[in-house]
Amino acid sequence: MESGKAVIRARPWAVACFLLPALVLLGALVIYPIGYSIQRSLFDASGDTFVGLDNFQEIFSNDSIRHALRNNLIWIVVAPTVATGLGLIFAVLTERIRWATAFKLVVFMPMAISMLAAGIIFRLVYEQDPDRGVANAMLTTVHDTFSGTSTWPDAQPRPDGPLTVQDDGSYLLEQPVTAGTPVLLPLVAVPQPELSDAEPAATAATDPGQVTGTVWMDFTRGGAGAEGVIDPEEKALSGITVEAVRDGEVVAAAKTGDDGTFSLPAEADGAQLRLASDSFTAPYNGAEWLGPDLITPAIIGAYVWMWSGFAMVLIAAGLASVPRETLEAARVDGANEWQVFRRITVPLLGPVLGVVLVTLMINVLKIFDLVYIIAPSSSQADANVLALQLYLSSFGTGADQGVGSAIAVLLLLLVVPVMIVNLRRLRRENKR
Amino acid sequence: MTATLITAQAPDPSAAGPAPKTGPRPRSLASRLASLAAGGAVRVVLVVLAVLWLLPTAGLLVSSFRSPRDIASTGWWEALTDPGQWTGANYDALLGDDTFTSSIWTTVAITVPSTVLVVVLGAAAAYAFAWLEFPGRDYWFLLVVALLVVPVQVALIPVAKLFNALGIFETTFGVILFHSAFGLPFAVFLLRNFFAEIPRELLEAARLDGAGELRLFTRVVLPLGGPAIAALAIFQFMWVWNDMLVALIFADSGSPPMTVALQQQMRQFGSNFDVLAPGAFLTMLIPLAIFFAFQRQFVSGVMSGAVK
Amino acid sequence: MRGSGRDSRRRAFRAAAAVTVTAALTLTACGGDEDTGGQRSGEVTVELPDLSGQHLEVAAVWTGAEQENFLRVLDEFEARTGATTSYVPSGDNVSQFVGTKIAGGSPPDVVMVPQPGVLREFAENGWIAPVGDLVQEQLDRNYTQGWQDLGAADGVQYGVYVKAANKSLIWYSTAAFDYAGVQPPETWDDFVDTAWTLWESGTTPMSVGGADGWTLTDWFENIYLSESGGEMYDRLAAHEIPWTDQSVTDALTTLGQLFGEDRLMEGGADGALQTLFPDSVTQTFLDLDSPDAAMVFEADFVGANITDSTDAVIGEDAQVFPFPSVDGGPLPVVSAGDAAVAIAPDGEASEAQEALLAFLASSDAAEIWAEPGGFISPNKSMNMDAYPNDVQRGIAEALIEAGDDFRFDLSDQTPAAFGGTTGQGMWQGLQNFLRNPEDIQGAQEYLESQAADAYGD
Repeated sequence: MESGKAVIRARPWAVACFLLPALVLLGALVIYPIGYSIQRSLFDASGDTFVGLDNFQEIFSNDSIRHALRNNLIWIVVAPTVATGLGLIFAVLTERIRWATAFKLVVFMPMAISMLAAGIIFRLVYEQDPDRGVANAMLTTVHDTFSGTSTWPDAQPRPDGPLTVQDDGSYLLEQPVTAGTPVLLPLVAVPQPELSDAEPAATAATDPGQVTGTVWMDFTRGGAGAEGVIDPEEKALSGITVEAVRDGEVVAAAKTGDDGTFSLPAEADGAQLRLASDSFTAPYNGAEWLGPDLITPAIIGAYVWMWSGFAMVLIAAGLASVPRETLEAARVDGANEWQVFRRITVPLLGPVLGVVLVTLMINVLKIFDLVYIIAPSSSQADANVLALQLYLSSFGTGADQGVGSAIAVLLLLLVVPVMIVNLRRLRRENKR
Repeated sequence: MTATLITAQAPDPSAAGPAPKTGPRPRSLASRLASLAAGGAVRVVLVVLAVLWLLPTAGLLVSSFRSPRDIASTGWWEALTDPGQWTGANYDALLGDDTFTSSIWTTVAITVPSTVLVVVLGAAAAYAFAWLEFPGRDYWFLLVVALLVVPVQVALIPVAKLFNALGIFETTFGVILFHSAFGLPFAVFLLRNFFAEIPRELLEAARLDGAGELRLFTRVVLPLGGPAIAALAIFQFMWVWNDMLVALIFADSGSPPMTVALQQQMRQFGSNFDVLAPGAFLTMLIPLAIFFAFQRQFVSGVMSGAVK
Repeated sequence: MRGSGRDSRRRAFRAAAAVTVTAALTLTACGGDEDTGGQRSGEVTVELPDLSGQHLEVAAVWTGAEQENFLRVLDEFEARTGATTSYVPSGDNVSQFVGTKIAGGSPPDVVMVPQPGVLREFAENGWIAPVGDLVQEQLDRNYTQGWQDLGAADGVQYGVYVKAANKSLIWYSTAAFDYAGVQPPETWDDFVDTAWTLWESGTTPMSVGGADGWTLTDWFENIYLSESGGEMYDRLAAHEIPWTDQSVTDALTTLGQLFGEDRLMEGGADGALQTLFPDSVTQTFLDLDSPDAAMVFEADFVGANITDSTDAVIGEDAQVFPFPSVDGGPLPVVSAGDAAVAIAPDGEASEAQEALLAFLASSDAAEIWAEPGGFISPNKSMNMDAYPNDVQRGIAEALIEAGDDFRFDLSDQTPAAFGGTTGQGMWQGLQNFLRNPEDIQGAQEYLESQAADAYGD
């Protein structure tokens, strides 16, 4: 870059022919709008009354805009950092792999996809129902592998029935039991399909030396059965642990059989019966990706999916130019790979990492499509960002283009530091 | 999965990127084994990551071949084990829909001219900045570079007003102008730097042969600038093709480009993934094809800061 | 709005209307298309000018089948006048769409506005033109005063209600009801009991599409209308009484009997907030033997979702009963619809815009539109035989017979910022309530503060 020296003397009109079309277009559609927005941001919704900085005050006092502002800050900090971090890891991992190119293509590919398509893709990924959304399908699979599933997750006592739900999820029969009188422990709300293999419930045998009873689904198809009575068609709930509790101590325990009956030894006499909670734990349904708490992280996840490849490619290029001798020398000196990475690679990559971070930050400021497409209406307010708010504020019946312009100016102010850094770097290079 | 296979391979120094200039250092057997095991672990991690990265797109692709009922009831992965679920009906319906097919043409009609315009205007201006003498040259260039980071959002309201006054709001022409304007700073920046690297002697020789400014531009600068122009064209093309926001506001809503046509399909009263999934996939086809065909230019574009 | 006097007669009227719906929907053997419908009178009921060479752009939220059905109406208009038309789907937020286009100076010529509140805002902004004689003539001939008034703002007639919806229906799975041995309830108390019985039987009683705020507003409106009556309903719609009023507390308390019970809603409150309206329908009708949920509440257009995405047959697997009466009040009839308006920021509607509105207001258009199904017209003079099956005809007849004895969707009557915008106003307020049903006072305070902002008091 040696501008100022290698110049061809040209006729003024020729210079104009080359230069003017681009400058006119830039002037009319980029520079003029900047001026217009700044001026417009100082006027009210109608555009007739000068209101000074009121519109900016509105940005910081209006709840939904403030929320957008807060989300933007989260975006600016989290999204570029995570994308750059992942990019760095990928670049280092692939450095010595033969099929690195294939891997890089896979990770880089989402950059070619529109934010709209990526939004639709992640609407599918984040689907709440674990039977349909792949994110929750993976979460629930992992969860169930480690903690298992319960046998009767839906079974519950009637609200006005003899059993009461305890804080730990177990069901307690308040009334102490006596040996020799079979106990009835009715539960309801078990869905029909879960009962398809269950056997009919039986009344427990009467044995004066034992506490016996039945746990069953106290509902007959068609609603014909009586409450608290084992009607002919009603099904047994097997495999439930029945505990006899006295003074908070479990004195005896038994599991219900295929016909729903159980029998406890004589020690249980006079104790309270409790159905252990492990049979009733509600199934894990995965995370609420699109709910108000996770929506912003979820959308950032989609963004990271799109842009980690960009970070990876730039960093990989930087990595290729790290002098190998330095690394080898460090290894000879006894540094392990992690130390080499921390002490040598990362510092040498510093400038590249900086460029990647700044580029992503600017890019993140303008995020619109992803939020607009992924957030369902119930959490759009929680996912709101400035660029979306600008669109919502600027067009429509309740539009206030004064506020819209103020948001535009704010966005512009946020990129000014980068603009200055760019210019200074360029001038430095020109001077050389 | 293929971890054992991979670890069984002999280490191949040539695979490890540029060979260290000092040559491979002799290592103990233990450290070799350790690094082999680590290498195996790395490979497994990479395969898992690659699958993870492909999964979302695969989900879209498979879903686009499933009936609305299947989409509503089960996950797309069910179709992998049940070939009976696959159907092209969604694509048939979508491609038989005039609104959608015409939106493909609108996308092309917006994308191609704005790419050409940016390349032509950008190259011309970049040439002037690189080689022609005029007053305030460096300052003008700095101004253009300053515009690199201006967010498009700043221009939405003012340009809507301007286009309205000019009568080109809601026209393809207006969208083309908008995209061209916002593509120019990068185009000028990229091409000017590239053009400036052209050896001065080449231009002076042509000058001595009596070539004018235009001839120098078309015969010397443009041909030599090929690689940079290709990278620029690819990026501008992708950016415009994938845009939704600008088209949402400035395009003719009667014949919108694909992105807006799909966005209009997103409604509260029907979950129409049977339209959205194949539609989204069709919008991705061209960018993906270009991406795979021109990876090198794409990467070089990224290197030169081609990020909006 | 419309005053309500003779309450007892109206009550009988409403009941009759509701019974007709039930009868039509439950007794019909099949809701398919094989009925001999689609009869048109054939005579031309509206004279249209020659508009050769003119072009009209029409925008509405409809896509897919709804869009195709409407295009048939536009085709007929083109054939009769020589004008050309084009159709643009506006996306969900019509006011955002029109606002964007007007900001740029090239709005569509005719827009279907789903909310009277938005129509009034358009009128205040001077975006739409009053109707002319040609349209008024059709309106007088085919529409009751109540339906006409909905298209007016400050006494000036701007719009024509071309499409209606009955929002006081609860759809249920026959299989789930049979298994639990329950019957469609008539009162809210019965309804809650029925829900608990369904729960005991192992079927989650309700699927609530709470991710879409508008379904929650419809719950509230039906309860409020039945519990507090039409007069209060109108005053609340006009924000003459605050949202902190006792009547609102009562309605939310009633609603809390459902929303406050995680066991009664598929996925509990959190799950409901994640459920989009279309998913709430599929949860109820996708699995015909043991559905995820037994009931889903929403308008007649649920039928379209059932047909599109499930195998359930309307009238057999999927049935419907009218929204129950609350606290001894009348059966509520809440309706909704789309009004056609002529966009004319410069004041006057063109001859072509007039002609299209007049045509849409005519029986001719209503009959063409009704033929394929999935459409209910508020047009009282049209030939009912045009509807393709008894289900559609039943809902339409009930609507016509109700005369002016209905209330329009309350949230649609309010300013868009309050009653029709994602993430704020009524949508958000009721979502907050669903998330935290204990806090009725908090929900009311939020609603009132949002209303105060939106109405500008």
